[in-house]
Amino acid sequence: MILFTKLNSFLRDFFSDVRNEPYLKINLVFAGVIVMVLAYSGIFSPDKNNYPVVCIHEKITGVQCFSCGLSHSFSLIVRGRINEAYQWNPYGMQVFLFFISQLFMRVIFSIYYLRNKGYHKQLIIYDISGSVIIFIVAFYPFFRQLFITVLSS
Amino acid sequence: MEEVKSNSGQNLGVAALITGIITFVLAVIPCIGIMAIVPGIIAIVLASVGLSQASRDNAPKGIVIAGLVIGIVAVMISFSQVFVAGRLVRHADRWPRDLQSVINDVKKEVTKDLKDGNISIKIESEGNKIEITTGSKKDSLVKQLEVLESGGKVKNDTLHKAK
Repeated sequence: MILFTKLNSFLRDFFSDVRNEPYLKINLVFAGVIVMVLAYSGIFSPDKNNYPVVCIHEKITGVQCFSCGLSHSFSLIVRGRINEAYQWNPYGMQVFLFFISQLFMRVIFSIYYLRNKGYHKQLIIYDISGSVIIFIVAFYPFFRQLFITVLSS
Repeated sequence: MEEVKSNSGQNLGVAALITGIITFVLAVIPCIGIMAIVPGIIAIVLASVGLSQASRDNAPKGIVIAGLVIGIVAVMISFSQVFVAGRLVRHADRWPRDLQSVINDVKKEVTKDLKDGNISIKIESEGNKIEITTGSKKDSLVKQLEVLESGGKVKNDTLHKAK
């Protein structure tokens, strides 16, 4: 009963703060988007191959691009078939870990933001710095490929 | 008297920032990178409207400018995916030629392997048995053809009926 009351008051405070704080609004939306990505990976099956989003390059040219198989890879990771996921796309795991880390960061940073009213600016700076580093590390192969292609063109 | 800060343009700025960041992530992925131009333009439009509102009412512009910058960079990355598509198209053009050369190689290998081989065909039907044996050497085939043309008997081919 005490736990329920605490949770209830936390949620009430959270949603009243969300209305006034853009940072919390952004965190809530991103957490929702990541949950939708996970749901997409869970709903669509790699065995049935029923993905609604298809690669534009493959459709036009018939040749697979660098990120082809990412949806299959995500679905297989969600189902715990890691080896198969690597076969579909070798970079699937690091991109998937980026999304998972972002989901945790949105939740943890939102809680810290609510609890530490005096450190909002520092918290946002840490969040942006951490997220940018994780993003660059996770998407490094894609950036590299894009950079090489643009330079060679 | 304390000056009250206006909140004008903030919601548009938040919307632009969210759209811009999502566009940024999408733009980096080659499969859907080109499509990210659309949300990128939406982010720029939202940020521009938010910036004009914030400027008019002297409201804070931090989020709006962040949304605008991220939106512009995301659209640039998305546009650069056109180069990736161009490269793939060039590869696609080369691909049938590569396939043809692979077929030619396989053909050459199979012909080379069969050059010294003998082919034997056995047919059995209702107690009748026919066996045809022939060498695939070009020289021997030419010789056989010459013999056949001259009305002679082919030595290498055997045809017998099982008892």
